Amino acid sequence: MSISRGLIYCLLAIAAVFYLLPLVVMVITSLKDLDEIRNGTILSLPQSLNFDAWGKAWSGACTGASCEGLKGYFWNSVSIVAPAVIVSTILGALNGYVLTKWKFRGSNLFFGMLLIGTMIPFQVILLPMARTLGFLGLSGSSSGLIMVHIIYGLAFTTLFFRNYYITVPNELVNAARIDGAGFWMIFWRIILPISTPILVVSVIWQFTQIWNDFLFGVVYSAGDNQPITVALNNLVNTSTGVKEYNVDMAAAIIAALPTLLVYIIAGKYFVRGLTAGAVKG
Amino acid sequence: MQALKIQNVEKSFGAVKVLKGINLEIEPGQFLILVGPSGCGKSTLLNMIAGLEDVTNGDIHIGDRNVTALDPKDRDIAMVFQSYALYPNMTVRQNISFGLDIAKMPKDEQKVVVDRVSKMLQIVPLLDRKPSALSGGQRQRVAMGRALARDPAIYLFDEPLSNLDAKLRVEMRGEIKELHQRMGTTIVYVTHDQIEAMTLADVIAVMKNGEVQQFGTPQEIYDNPSNQFIAGFMGSPAMNFVPCDLSDGANGYELLLESAGKSMPFPINQDIEGLKQYVGKKVILGIRPEQITQDSEDKSDNLVMACDVEMIEPTGPDTMVTIRLNGAKIVCRVHPTTMCSTDQALPLQFDMTKAVFFDPDTQMRIR
Repeated sequence: MSISRGLIYCLLAIAAVFYLLPLVVMVITSLKDLDEIRNGTILSLPQSLNFDAWGKAWSGACTGASCEGLKGYFWNSVSIVAPAVIVSTILGALNGYVLTKWKFRGSNLFFGMLLIGTMIPFQVILLPMARTLGFLGLSGSSSGLIMVHIIYGLAFTTLFFRNYYITVPNELVNAARIDGAGFWMIFWRIILPISTPILVVSVIWQFTQIWNDFLFGVVYSAGDNQPITVALNNLVNTSTGVKEYNVDMAAAIIAALPTLLVYIIAGKYFVRGLTAGAVKG
Repeated sequence: MQALKIQNVEKSFGAVKVLKGINLEIEPGQFLILVGPSGCGKSTLLNMIAGLEDVTNGDIHIGDRNVTALDPKDRDIAMVFQSYALYPNMTVRQNISFGLDIAKMPKDEQKVVVDRVSKMLQIVPLLDRKPSALSGGQRQRVAMGRALARDPAIYLFDEPLSNLDAKLRVEMRGEIKELHQRMGTTIVYVTHDQIEAMTLADVIAVMKNGEVQQFGTPQEIYDNPSNQFIAGFMGSPAMNFVPCDLSDGANGYELLLESAGKSMPFPINQDIEGLKQYVGKKVILGIRPEQITQDSEDKSDNLVMACDVEMIEPTGPDTMVTIRLNGAKIVCRVHPTTMCSTDQALPLQFDMTKAVFFDPDTQMRIR
């Protein structure tokens, strides 16, 4: 092993420590009680494994007026994320399939306009979307929020699937057409079974985006319908009583845990799927 | 009743006309080959027969049905693609039975068909493999199996052998021919390889620039090409073209040929009506390499001329010798035992009975 190789590993190790440090601080702080936090330094280890803060964050901490912890909001987020991810992924797959295998007059223009959708910042659509939701009678409901996430995510999922399917040879579709399969049959039996890598990419991307979203959540949902990110913000900003850093930390970790899990489980497919189709197209 | 009838079929992409009025008819059980250089429209025509491309103008009949406006699935066809297009997520068995499954054939009947087809193509041991675990030749067989399982009115082959290596290509070519002879199926086959066309076809349609240049049996097209393009396209090595002056000699028409600084009048031992109006003008002489051979006594009536040898290419059964006639490079097929070396004159025998003539401007055959 040469010196330069050693230097590279050294730098990588430093970078890893640098990025891991906040997580370490969060974990050890969440395991301390308030006395330990006040008397020790930020990096001093907890005396014992004390999960009280986690329990409180989950079911007893105050988020604004109510004091029932993040529990309810966690499930809110799950019930928003699950349909939004599933629907936007399925629609993205269908869009990509149509845009590559069943091209119509103007399909390239259509795709170009969809691409613009990936460049629109959240803030730009806040007001018009609020008016639209109001018009549809969906203001403040989680179905309204789900709809916003689906529509906003569609541009991205379509882009993913379109770029993946452009590498799938058209002859495959032609062969299936001659074998007697129609539009849906080809999609279900030929196209979808070979889409695993890009399905994983789309699911991870959409899950992360929607789970971590704060802006849409805080604007388009109200009261008990709010997602966990909004609840976390309320919990941390609640100004009554003593500042409980251990509970804040535990709550933040709880809010981040699902995305972390998704990456750990499906991460290797993510890179593979993102680079698949990067060569051609 | 024709198995396939193509009437005045045209295809345009925007302003570009890629097919300009194609007319073809084949009988049931015939093997039709569409051959031509790339971009001649042969694959487009095949896709239109399959229903994968729209017909701009004209009609296509399969059997007694007009299928011009029908979907591929309603045309009673099967197709083998250049890239094989096997479904990567399915096993070989599932690939072969996919079409049957969609047609809602009962599972036990499907099994009978898959067994029959896989035995015929000798792919029984591969049935439970995925396409990614197959070699090129095996994939080719599976693709053919998928077509055979359907038992359609017409089989369409789109350059099926062009992705195989040379040896395998010859092998599979033989198998396709055998299969056709055994099953008596109607086949339309697209290729750019004129040897495939000659060996496989009952009838060949030579295409260029979106038009059928000639439609006939392989031997007809080889012996009687209707223009210079076809003459040069079919046959390997290609037919030689010699520009020369035509004159009216004592024993009919004569050509003036020059090689190695010596000129010699060549009588044409054929009665060709059309040559009359070319007397005193230039014509293109078309002569195949096998019609210029080493000097031998048993054909003493042939013309003999000593020519300078420019290049020698032994192929094993024959040796290709390049000479120069009237400034054009000419390839001759001589027996390998003929002693010759470059920069030496070699007496060569010309068999003019099968020579053909073309107009130097229109490149059409003079008959």
